Amino acid sequence: MKKVININFQGRVIPIEETAYEALKQYIESLRRYFAHEEGRDEIINDIENRIAELFDEKLKKGAVCITDEDVNAVMVSMGRPEDFEEQDATYAGSATDYAKAESSQSTTAQQVYEEPRRLSRAANDKVLGGVCAGIAHYMKIDPAVVRIIFALIAFGGFGFGVVLYIILWIILPVRSLQTNVRKRLYRDPDNKLIGGVAGGLSAYFNIDTWIPRLIFLLPFLFGMLPNLFSGFWWHWRGPWVAFSGLGGTFFVTYIILWIVLPKAVTASEKLEMRGEKIDLESIKNTVQEELQSVKSRGEKLGTEFKEKAKVVGEEMKDTLKQRTQSFASEVGPAARKTGTGIGNAIGILFKAFFLCIAGIIAFSLLIALMAILYSGVAVFPLKNFLLEGFWQNFFAWSVITLFIGVPIIALVVWIVRRIMRVRSKNPYLGYTFGSLWILGLISLFVLIGMVGRNFRIKTSVNEDVTITQPANGNMFIKVMDGKVRYYSSDWFDGDFPFLSLNEDSMLLNTVRLKIVKSEDSIYHIKLVKLSLGNTPASAENNASSISFPITQQDSVFYFPKGFPVSSTNKFRNQQVMAIVEVPVGKKIMVDGSIDRYDWFDINFNRRRGWNIDWKDRWDNSYSWEDNVQYTMTDNGLERTDKKDRNKNTDSKKIKNGKFKLKADDNGVEIEAEGELEDGKGSYRYKKSGDNEKVEIDTVKPATPVSPNPPKPAQRKITAAENKNAKEEIAGKNISEDFHPPFLFLTTGR
Amino acid sequence: MEQNFSQPPSFTAGRMREKSPKIMNIENTQSQMRKGVLEFCILSIIKRGEVYPSDIIDEMKKANLNILEGTLYPLLTRLKNADLLTYRWVESTGGPPRKYFSLTDKGAAFYAELEATWNELAGAVQALTQNGVNINSGNFNQ
Repeated sequence: MKKVININFQGRVIPIEETAYEALKQYIESLRRYFAHEEGRDEIINDIENRIAELFDEKLKKGAVCITDEDVNAVMVSMGRPEDFEEQDATYAGSATDYAKAESSQSTTAQQVYEEPRRLSRAANDKVLGGVCAGIAHYMKIDPAVVRIIFALIAFGGFGFGVVLYIILWIILPVRSLQTNVRKRLYRDPDNKLIGGVAGGLSAYFNIDTWIPRLIFLLPFLFGMLPNLFSGFWWHWRGPWVAFSGLGGTFFVTYIILWIVLPKAVTASEKLEMRGEKIDLESIKNTVQEELQSVKSRGEKLGTEFKEKAKVVGEEMKDTLKQRTQSFASEVGPAARKTGTGIGNAIGILFKAFFLCIAGIIAFSLLIALMAILYSGVAVFPLKNFLLEGFWQNFFAWSVITLFIGVPIIALVVWIVRRIMRVRSKNPYLGYTFGSLWILGLISLFVLIGMVGRNFRIKTSVNEDVTITQPANGNMFIKVMDGKVRYYSSDWFDGDFPFLSLNEDSMLLNTVRLKIVKSEDSIYHIKLVKLSLGNTPASAENNASSISFPITQQDSVFYFPKGFPVSSTNKFRNQQVMAIVEVPVGKKIMVDGSIDRYDWFDINFNRRRGWNIDWKDRWDNSYSWEDNVQYTMTDNGLERTDKKDRNKNTDSKKIKNGKFKLKADDNGVEIEAEGELEDGKGSYRYKKSGDNEKVEIDTVKPATPVSPNPPKPAQRKITAAENKNAKEEIAGKNISEDFHPPFLFLTTGR
Repeated sequence: MEQNFSQPPSFTAGRMREKSPKIMNIENTQSQMRKGVLEFCILSIIKRGEVYPSDIIDEMKKANLNILEGTLYPLLTRLKNADLLTYRWVESTGGPPRKYFSLTDKGAAFYAELEATWNELAGAVQALTQNGVNINSGNFNQ
């Protein structure tokens, strides 16, 4: 069963089978190509068409119902194929009697015979930006897409070198309208595939054996495996592993992208294009025959396609491409652009260049980042082991990385490569697939946050008394040990916040806080409160008690460890150590400046703010102090041994400008406020006040006048944090001490 | 020799030559020979009177000299563009008008020269292949 169409051919109405029509069209197209540079080519083509029409007419007059494939074939045989012309054509090659010349012209392809002189120029008709790449491709007789991809790599990988080169070439090269002289395109080869046919297509394109591209894709993986086999401690010598795995990753992603981007060579003409075979009449005949066969077996094919669809999701994206029976000419034929004029066009091109640049840079850097995350795996993402536990959390973490982060990157790269290769698919599945994969990633993200968050739900503390020898002379000196415990320093977290250092198995946390309180009896005590979060009270307690924080003593000097290790089996659960030093009345204490090495932060998942630094103080009877200053404990609290008045001593620089937050809780009345210091005026302005009892606060003055009888603050808890001064130890409790001017008396308008 | 002429060059042969261009093969030489006389033959047919291109093909076929129509049309166009040929439109029954070609004066002169050359060449070839004329005599180059 064949479809018959009516065509108006040189003034005659000819009924012709559709397949025959396609063959005829391609034949005439090939003639047109052959005579492209012949003087009076239109006339020649016209004459030939006329003659063909006449022959068809005769056929029909003899009683044929329509023109069939056989008729077209017969006409093509009698008219001759372009490659036959070469042999018979007497005058074409000029003084063709020159044997050697004739020999050489016959040994080359048909296209080259009528080729223009070879000059490097820009293509006027096939361009993305300036036609430079297409020009180079024409000169080198390769696929413009290949040149474009190489150029893009140079441009974005070579730090702008390619961009400069492109602009220079754009300026110096003349514009010509170039014939596409290479009938070779990169396809995926469905007949020669292991996975997606990418390697098969590449081998066909470069005319090499299939195993070569396959090996190239595979080798980096093999190399990536080797170091792992030989060394369990690969992180000692990470270089080659990352390099090879990175390379393997690159090839892997390249493969996936090619798989998505490259069309599958389904029709015979596509397969010819893939192998770069000359599209002449003979091969078109083959094409037609194979296409006929493929029409016959289409139903069957669709069935198997459906199976494939179900099997491979990625396959699905390309399957409609299979059904695409786009003709060769319209597919590769240069999409002639309307040459707009004037400034609008210039701006358009500039905008396009800019956009392509930006998109390319983004895609490139994102790709690199993805590569780093995906394939250096644990080495780059060390926190994973400390945060996640169990299969499901890891599973969701990976799906977040691949789907939520990776998919948009790959989508972007695919989009760009498609732009470069001018593959336009009308099929929306790709977008849907990417979209739904990304949404899956988003869901995974939420699930992961929920799961991890549950592990930070409950806070528990474990107390431990440290047995100490009483320091001589009633003088205690506290220092933080430096570097006695050696951890491998990490490439990724060299800073001291929040992790001192990190390796595969353990990380060193320095969330340690020092409190000084009055001792109940006449001796010094040191108590440790170990805190940890956990999923259940039991697990939190378990985490807390596994904190090891040994304090060593040398005479009156107490060395605190630099931090405490958390192993990957214990996980990171915001473990903290609060060291409480009880100083008896009349005894002295001094804290070394090295205490600055400690940091403190709370993770609180119950609040929407996520990580916040919470200064809430559970030990009400502690006192504020400064490091490197000796204090004596008195009945009223800590006093400086040198008796200097703190107010006078504290210079005005201690009054920080900036925002602060305040929360007060007094007998069930909660006041929450945020404010900002108005520079120079010495007063704060509030933006917001709590809503419990509609407290309105007009102004707050810094408490410069020291009140002899401050409001009894015992029941009141005030927490405040100055953003700029997060590290400083501030006890909101001691308003009466009037230590920091930001602690204030409220004048409420209640 | 005539029989060889009548064999249309086959596509497979062309392909083989592509693969081994260095080897001098028989078809190549034959086609070189054909090329040389093709124009002469066509002009000789046109000289006899106004002619329709497919008639040229038929006539040449009758003489066992096969030519592809696809090469004839370009050749005619080229000769026409060189003012050797002219054509006029002749109404045909049940179809668009057809092009009939005839020689111009210039074409006739051109043909005469070709004819002279051909006669010389044919005589020389004849002499060489059949009588074994001594090459040193210098006859060949005249």
